This record gives sequence, C-alpha cells and structure tokens, in this order.
Amino acid sequence: MPTPAKPASVTAAKTGKGGARGKTRKSPPMLDLIVGIGASAGGLEAYTAFFTNMPVDSSLAFVLVQHLAPDHSSLLAELVGRSTSMPVLTAVDGTRVEPRHVYVIPPNATLTIAGGILQVCTPAPPREHRWPISTFFTSLAEDQGECAVCIVLAGTGSDGAQGLRAVKEHGGLALAQSGLDDRAMAGMPASAVATGLVDAVLPAAEMPARLLAYQKQVHAASRHKDADGVRGDVASHLKTICEMLHAEIGHDFSQYKEKTLMRRIQRRMLVVQADTVTDYIEYLGEHADEHELLFCEFLIGVTEFFRDPAAYEALRTVAIPAMLADKTSADDLRVWVPGCATGEEAYSIAILLREAMGSQRGPKVQIFATDIDKQAIGRARAGRFRSPLVGISPERQERWFSKDREDFCVIKQIREMCIFSPHSVIKDPPFSRMDLVSCRNLLIYLNSDLQERLVQSFQYALRPGGFLLLGTSERLGHNAPLFTELDKKQRLYARREDSHIHPRHFPSAQRHPVNRTNHAPPAAPEHVDDLVDRHARQALEPWSPAYVVIDTQHQVLRFGGDTRRYFAPSTGAASLNLFQLLDKPLRSAARAAVMQVFASGKRVIREGLSVVLNGLDRPLRLIVEPLAHDDGAVKMCVVAFNELEHAPHAAEPATDGKPDSQRIRIHALEDELRSTRAQLHTAVDLHETASEELKSSNEEYQSVNEELQSANEELETSTEEMQSINEELQTVNAELNSKNEALHQVNSDIRNLLDSTHIATVFLDRKLHIRNYTPVMTRLFHLRDGDKGRPITEISPRINYPELKQDVAQVLHDMTVTERVLRGTEHAPTYLLRMRPYLTVDNVVDGVVLTFVDITDSQRLNHEHARLAAIVNSSRDAIFGFSLDERITSWNPGAERIFGLSAAQVVGQPLSILQPASASAEVKAFFASHQRPLRLAEFEMTWVSPNGESVPLAMSYSPVSNEDGILFAGKLIARDITERHRAERHNEMMLAELNHRVKNTLATVQAIATQTAINAPDLAAFRESFQARLLALAHTHSLLAQEAWHGVALGDIVKRELAPYLHDSDARLNDARVRLRGDALTLKPKQALALSMGLHELATNAGKYGALSVADGQVTVTWATRQVDQRVWLKLQWTETGGPLVQAPTRRGFGSRLIGDGLAYELDGNVTLEFLHSGVTCVIDLPMDEKKPT
Amino acid sequence: MNSDSNKPRLLLVEDEMLLAMMLEDRLVDVGYVVLKAARLTAGLALAESAALDLAILDINLAGESSFPIAEILRRRGVPFIFSSGYGFEGLPDIWRNEKVLQKPYDTQQLTTALTGLCSA
Repeated sequence: MPTPAKPASVTAAKTGKGGARGKTRKSPPMLDLIVGIGASAGGLEAYTAFFTNMPVDSSLAFVLVQHLAPDHSSLLAELVGRSTSMPVLTAVDGTRVEPRHVYVIPPNATLTIAGGILQVCTPAPPREHRWPISTFFTSLAEDQGECAVCIVLAGTGSDGAQGLRAVKEHGGLALAQSGLDDRAMAGMPASAVATGLVDAVLPAAEMPARLLAYQKQVHAASRHKDADGVRGDVASHLKTICEMLHAEIGHDFSQYKEKTLMRRIQRRMLVVQADTVTDYIEYLGEHADEHELLFCEFLIGVTEFFRDPAAYEALRTVAIPAMLADKTSADDLRVWVPGCATGEEAYSIAILLREAMGSQRGPKVQIFATDIDKQAIGRARAGRFRSPLVGISPERQERWFSKDREDFCVIKQIREMCIFSPHSVIKDPPFSRMDLVSCRNLLIYLNSDLQERLVQSFQYALRPGGFLLLGTSERLGHNAPLFTELDKKQRLYARREDSHIHPRHFPSAQRHPVNRTNHAPPAAPEHVDDLVDRHARQALEPWSPAYVVIDTQHQVLRFGGDTRRYFAPSTGAASLNLFQLLDKPLRSAARAAVMQVFASGKRVIREGLSVVLNGLDRPLRLIVEPLAHDDGAVKMCVVAFNELEHAPHAAEPATDGKPDSQRIRIHALEDELRSTRAQLHTAVDLHETASEELKSSNEEYQSVNEELQSANEELETSTEEMQSINEELQTVNAELNSKNEALHQVNSDIRNLLDSTHIATVFLDRKLHIRNYTPVMTRLFHLRDGDKGRPITEISPRINYPELKQDVAQVLHDMTVTERVLRGTEHAPTYLLRMRPYLTVDNVVDGVVLTFVDITDSQRLNHEHARLAAIVNSSRDAIFGFSLDERITSWNPGAERIFGLSAAQVVGQPLSILQPASASAEVKAFFASHQRPLRLAEFEMTWVSPNGESVPLAMSYSPVSNEDGILFAGKLIARDITERHRAERHNEMMLAELNHRVKNTLATVQAIATQTAINAPDLAAFRESFQARLLALAHTHSLLAQEAWHGVALGDIVKRELAPYLHDSDARLNDARVRLRGDALTLKPKQALALSMGLHELATNAGKYGALSVADGQVTVTWATRQVDQRVWLKLQWTETGGPLVQAPTRRGFGSRLIGDGLAYELDGNVTLEFLHSGVTCVIDLPMDEKKPT
Repeated sequence: MNSDSNKPRLLLVEDEMLLAMMLEDRLVDVGYVVLKAARLTAGLALAESAALDLAILDINLAGESSFPIAEILRRRGVPFIFSSGYGFEGLPDIWRNEKVLQKPYDTQQLTTALTGLCSA
C-alpha cells in the first residue's frame, strides 16, 4: 500500500553514525536477538498474549518499555511473570542482557542499552521530552544493529515511531500490533506503521513465531557475511538486481553506494525469508510488488543534503537566476518543499538561494517546508544534524553550519529562510503564489491518480512562470501541457503563463476527493469534430433551430445557429447568463422550462410563444432538451428556438362567428390576461433581480471564502512562524537567564575580589562621588558603608593629600594614568597612588579609579637594596651573580677591575666564560653546573685577564635561595690574593732564613766554644772568655734585631764594645780614654757580626793587657769610607796609646787569629794587626758591598 | 809538614769565619790539606784550577749560592758534599742526589760524611 507521503527518512546523520557503529562492531557478530517491546495503555493484555505464545527455550532476550507513572511503583514485572516461566526482572543499571530473560523498565527512569548492558538513568526527563520507547529503541538499534527487534504494542500517542526508524536504519526488524481487523491498532502501532517502515503488522500472539523465523534467517545470513557484515554473495548479484529495478521502476541505482544497497537487499532477503541471493532474485522475478518494496527500501536513509547534485545544479543554473532576476528586496520569493522530511532538501535550497544572492540583500525568501510527519518536522525545525554531514562540502559546512558538540547546526541566516509545518499535500489546501515547488521522490510513492492531482495542485500553487522540480524518476503524466520542460533529465519544469485552473476545481475545496471525477475544464474544446460533421452541420444550419447550450448555472456554453433575434442583453455587467441575454418576452417561459428540465431531467417543449420578426409576430416553439451525463445526472441542457411557419389566419374567421357578448367577454379576458401578464412580467423581473443579487452575493461569498481559505493557510504558516519565534524567544530567554546567572557570578566574583584585595581602591565618578571602595580603603579615609555616593572631598582623610581634586581633574583631562607617592609622616605608611580613568565597557570615561599601594616595606627594601648595592659597588672584591641558566646577571666594579672585563662584556654571558683555561679539577667541577656544591663553597683559581696578567683569586660561592629554600641564583665573590701570596712567600722565605741563621749561629757558637776551649788555660778562664764572647755576639744580635736585621750603625757597635770604658768618659772630650771618630754608617748584618767580634777581641785585649788596662791609656777608633773601583770601602783604624809597653805575643791566640785571619776572610778585606810597643794598632779595610762575580 | 804533598787536598768553601776556622782545625787534625774560600769568586778560582781530592761547599756564600762551584767540581769529577743550615730542602732538584751536612754538625758526622765521600 503506497504511503500517502514520502516516508520521513532517517537522516543522513543517522546513517553516518550507524556506519561508524557498524565498523566498531566487527567481531564476533552478536546473533542473539534482543527484542525491545514498547507499550502503553492496554499493553498488559498484549504482553500476556505475546509471552503465552513465546517458547521459553529460544535464545531471545526481551526488554519491556512501558509508559509508567513516575511516582508509582510498578507491578508490571510480577504481572508479566504470570504468563511466562522465563525470569522477569526489573532492569537495573549495569545488567548484562541474557537470553531467555525478560527485563522491565523501572518507573521514572530512562532505559538505554550499550554494549549489551542495560543503563538505567533516573529520573526520567520531564513529560514533554519523555519518549522512553523511542529512546530505548534508538539505543538498541545502535547497539545491536540487525539483531535488534522492536515491537510496538498497544498504546496511545506516537512514542516508538522515531526509535523504530533507527531500528530499521540499522537493519533490525520492526513489528507492530494489529487489531481485530488485521490493521494496525490506533495510537502507537498506527504511528509506527505510518513511518512506512514496519515489516509486519501482526496480532501479539503471532509475533513470537515471526521472531523465531527471523532469528533463523539472521543465523543463516550471518554465515555468508564478511567482517563488515556484508554478504559476499550479494555483491556479485548487485548489478543484476539493479538492472531489474531499472527495468521495472525506471530508476537507476547503479551509482548508489554498494554497501548501502547490499545491506538493504539483505534486509529484504530477511523479510521475504530468502536464503540465498539467487532465491531472492527468483522471488523478485515472481512478485511484481517486491520491486516497489525494494525500491522503497533503497530510498530509506538516503535523504541527504544536495541529494542528486545534478538536480541542484540545474536549480542553481536555470531556476534560481530566473527567480532572482526580477525580484527586488521588497519582493517575496516563495518556495514550497512538500514532503520535506527532516529538512535537508529545504536547507539545501536555502543554501543555494543564499549563495546565489551573495552579499546582496535580495528578496525575502520563504521556504515552506511541509511534511505530514510531525516528528520529522520537529527535527527539521531544530536544524541539528549529526556529523559527518553527508553531501555538504567543507566550504559549505564552514559557512552555513556551526558546530555544537557533536552536531552541526544550520546557522540562523539559513534557518530563518525556512518555515516548517505539518501539512498534507493530499488533504490540505495547497500553498499559493510560489516561485518554486520542489517535490522530489514523493510522487513515486503515489498511484497515478494521486500523482496527477498533486501535479495540478503544484500547478495551482505556482505563480505563472514558477518552477517545479521533481525527482529524477517522476514525471508529469497527463499534466505535461501545463508546464514547459526546462531540463528533461533533472525534471525541472516551469509553469506555462497561460495555463490556469480555477482554484475552485482544486482538491483543496473538495471534502471527498475520491468522488471527484470531472475536473477537466468545461471549456475544453471538443476535438472530436471532423470535417464531414462540420460541413453537414453547416448545410443543415439554416434548417435547424437556433440553440444555446447552458449549464446548471444557466451560463451559456454554446451558441448554435442564428440566435440574434431571441436575444436582447440587459444593460449592466456583461454576462453569459441565459436569462440576461434573452429577449424579455422569452425570459419567463424559458426560465420555467429550463428549471423544469433540470428538475425532472426530461425534455420540455413550450408551444405558443411568438417572436417579433420584421414587425410580425412569428410563432415560436421553445424546446429544452436535457444533455444527460453517463451517470444520468443532468449538468447541461440545450435550449432550442424552433420558429414555426406563419400560420394562415385560420382561427380568425372562427372568432367572427361568435356573438358580440362572447367577443366582449374575450376582450375582457384578453385585457385581464394582458394585465396579469404585465404583472407577471413585473414579478418575474423582480424575481430575476433578486436572483441576480443572490447569485452575485453567492459569488462574493465564494470569493470571500477563497480569501479566507488563503488567509487560513497564511495563518497556519504564521502560526508555525509564531511557534518558531516563540521557540526562539524561549531560547533567547534561556540565554538571557544564563547570562544573568553569569553576571551574577561575575558580580559576586568582583565583590569577593574587592573584599579580599589588600590594595586600597576607590572608584570615583566625574564629580568625585564615591562609587565603590575596597575595605582597606578605610585605612586611608574615614569611610563608612553609607558613604557610597558621597563626594570623597567630604570624607576626612587619614593621609595628607590636598592635591586630590586637581589630580582627578588632571587625569580626566589628559586621560592618562597618574602616579604619586604619598609620604607618611613618622611611622605612617607611605603609599603609591595610581590614578587612572574609569572606563566603562563601552570605553567611555566615567570617573577615575584610585589605587593606593602601601609601599612602606617596598621603600624600606629599596633603601636596603641601595645600601647593599653601595657595598657591592665599593667592594674591592669582585662580586657577581648568575642565574639558574648559568648566565651572569650582575657584575660590580670590583669584578671589572679584577677580571679586566666590563659589565657590558659579561652580563648575560654564560658563567663558563670565567673558567680559566688551565683550571684544576675542583674548579672545573664548580663550573660544571651539575657538579656544583649546593652549599657555600670556596676554592682558588688563577684568572688570566685579557691583558695577559695572571691574577690568583680566592673564590667564594654562595647559593641564593628563596624563602622556601629553593635555589634560584648563585653569587660569587672573587678576591685578588696576589698580595697574600706574596706575603706567604715572604714568610716562608723568612722562616727558612731564620732557620739558616739559627743553625749558622749555633755553628758559630760551637766554633767559639771550641776555639775558646783550645786557648783557655783553665775552666774559669774559659767560662769568662766564652761568656764575654757570647755576650758580644748576643749584643750584636740584639742590635740587629732592633733594626730587624736590616743593618746596624757602625758607631753603635763600636760604642757597645767599648761601653765598659766609655761610661766615665765623654766622647766630646778629647782627653777621654776612648775616642771615636767617623761618619754615620750602616753595616750589613754579616759585616756587623764579624766586626763586632773583632772589636770585642780588641777591646778585651786592650782591657786586659793594653791601653785600657791602665788609667791613662787611650784608644782611638776612626773610620772613613772611600771609593775604589766603583766600590765603597770602609777603613777602620784602632789605635791604642798610653798603655803599658806592649810585648808581641808568643803564640797566636784566638783573638789574634780571629782578627788577623778571620775578619779578612769573612769580610773579603784586609786586616793589619800590629803589636807596637806604644800600643796595639789594627787597620781593618773592607768593601761595604759584595763584589759581583764577573 | 813535609808530608803535605801526600795528604788529600780538600776545598772548604764557607763564608762563616769562625766555622771555617773550626773546620779547618779539625780537618787539618785528621790529615787534610785545606784550601779555604769565603766567596764565590775565590771558590770558583780554586775549584777550577787547584788540585783537589774532595770539597765541602756551604751553599749560601754571603748571599750567593755555591752551585756554580759544584758544577765545576762535578765536571772535574771531584767528589763534594754540601753543608747548609737549610738542610736537604734547600737544594734544587739537580743537586738532590748530593750529600748534605746539616749545620751544625760534630766531628763524628763530618768524618763519616768525608769517609763516605772518599769511598764512593
């Protein structure tokens, strides 16, 4: 049975999703069917019938979805349990569906299935969005594919139909319950059947058998399938099947997607229970209607955007430019898309139009998209399509769709062009004044009668020159003359300008379209006449009566013969109404006769009329002959005027013979008759006038009715628009609400921000009135809660800021940010005031914002920093820092001096540039960052500065950590230790020298002791001499020590040795015993030691045996220097006088030997010691400085 | 005194007069002919030209080192011994293998060192 409208196909988006699912569900195929059963009111009876007949050993699983009251606990599971021995369970979230189990939806819940596991979601959505059966069917279809079965049992409403589409789309089985009359029960089953997708309509009791058969089929079919779920054997026969379809239906599917087609063929095979493809082809050959069914099966789910691109190309190149050509922006462009399903076609046309108009504003486009499926219309109105969008190029997708999560939404500009409304092209009046009607793949579902009617309907709907686009396998049939063919292949037509069908003849005005049999234009010319007829008629014309043919409305349809003499048209509007055309004397007779004919259907002949011809009355016979239709109804009649030959006045003589009284009587009667006739004329005229008025009123009403009809249609469309506006308003309202909430949120965020910030902030308007302030602000001004709105100048400040007013004026004038430091007196904090213009969201300056940042600490830190910086800058040591990425960050003047590199050369460079070329392992370890110690470290290295100078450096490294102990920088101090090194070397040298001297001295003491011992006669003499010599040595040492071993004045040595004899004499007196004469002269330590020992021996000898041993003896010591051969020589002369007579010693004692040999030897000079009788003389001649070896 | 020509001849380079005198006394006592030099110049002259059997060299001669003398002696093959208040540490590396008498030393140490030098 053909469906009265194109099945609202499952959208392309669904196909896409199903396809994706199909891929993921590759192996192993799940062969146990899961049967979803939906029911509502009256469902329990159906359940009982179903399960009573369901064997309990099948491998099927059942899920019952029942409309339940959300707040009542359900007894359904218990009730169903009575009719089957299978376990009946209330569905629980996470339950795996097992075969031979029955699961029942719990109340107030949404039940879905995923991966074979039930998912229960509570609570259920609000009633208006609650479609539990469809929801479950959809998830079942997506999860189980062709193993999904859905059964729609008794129930009111239409829940389940949408889900059923999904089940069919995924290749599952769909059953609906039939009533007693073998037709679908009203309500849900009927809605399900209305989708055109139900496989079988059965009583509930017969469904189990069908299910078991289906399962068997699925099992059998699965053996032929490959991993994609496509049977390999179908592919090889696909071409054959397509050719059969092409031959029978005329539609070529060969360019359709093979996989899709194969799945559909498999579906039909399951339905007709064909095991192999060959069986199916046989079946196809034997059953003519199977072609139709397979064709419909093929069409399911192929609705998509720009389906058949060539057709849209024809629209774009031919129709659309013509439509837009003569339209201005004030005009309307109206398009009607009947059978729009989920709107892809309408949106595609909208996109084409929008693209054609480009940037121009163009006419106001209204695309009326209609379908009888309210759910499909609902989805079309939503304008949401699942990705991927089939048929839409990426450019179009980018331009005309917005992505919303997984879906694509048609943008508002396109959506607003389309008006969707439920409407039946068959039942409801057509739309009118359309520029384009696009009705594709709808007519193919209809029989030829309906097709013809619809094409006429479209013809009416189109304005002259409007375009009609049909599906590629659809054609105009008998209505072809109404249209001009523009593109034969793509079925694009234009309405002929001249063709016009009165709207009254349209199905829209007909309550019972099936009764309509005559809607051919009555004025259609009779083409059956041939020439012979015409000539015969012409020949007979003078002899046949003149006639007219009229219809029931008394409109003249034909004139025949010479009718002139009978007509005298009334003045006023021209009319074909017979009674306005006829000569007045004939009108009443004719009217009576015509009425009698239409009433009785029989011929009426009126004799005795006359017509005035050439001034003579001629008798006239009026013949009214009914023209009966095939069914016997009289719709027309012929009114013929048969003029009789003028009869001789035969009757007149008869009157002559009558008596006068009779004549008088006759005259009187004639008079009476005349007056009566006149009255009758008047009455008839009145009646005719009234009748005319009534008729014109009737026509007015009819036209009013037409107008109302149109208005009604417009109103229906308006209602749809209002509804969509309403929806939009609701959306806008929801958006506003959410924006309001967001604002609320922002408001509270800002309040919290103001409350929690420690920065004193105050917002002032242009007049210095306080708008808002942060709590910290009270530290600066004596602010209270009520002060908002008051001028800030009225608030007494805690800070000293008299310039506030002029600063604000300045900021408002300059539009710049002003900063000012407000120094607190004594311990009061110092603030940094930053004043900037207050900008509203629209960038309008509306006051100022003042922020006061307490910078007391910061300033203190700044001072501290400056102090430390001064120390660093003035340090003689190099102090520099580096960052964690081993870059040098600071470089003080000390560093510049020590390293010989300027800060500009170094800062930013890697630390490693400071690593000396020849560094020790320790130094290298330090410069390798990963080996660097984490604590303080000290090491030494030698830096070679750019000018080649080597600088020994003591390096001290300290890591710099933040308060959490995390290292963030390093600091190095380098000290130039050249001086220290020098001092250390000097110390070492001094120590070695001391050691040497001590040991030398000890050796000297040893020699003195040895020599003294050799010469001493006894121990007492040894002790005396030895002590004296040691003392002399010690004295000289003390003198040297006093001068830090730099040297000793010669005079001091001499005085020291002669001291015992000097105390009673005065050097200034010439008669003193000891006379000294010489320049101030410094001797080197070695010279001093040797000379002092020699002088000691001389003095000792003089005191014991010489001049000083007697009171009158004198010793004279003189010395002088002279230059010989660029060397300075010292000559010291010792002369004793006045002493006892001197005897030359018999043997050389220690003293003589020391003086005579030792001094000369040690001092590299010459010594002469003479023992004259007058006294001892000694001349010591020695160089003051060492002679350089040549 | 006539037997001087048979006695071994020893060069004593020592700038301390008392020490030189004492050593001379001891060395003469044990049968050496002692040639003394207090300065580098004198020491070099003796080392170069005098007939020598062995030598005692004070390293520090009035601020100059006696190593040039040691070089001559080594060249001539005259065995020698350093005498120094600095001890062993005062020697440059090339002289490390030479014997050193650490001042002050007694007769025993002196004769042992000289005996060792002669027998070597």
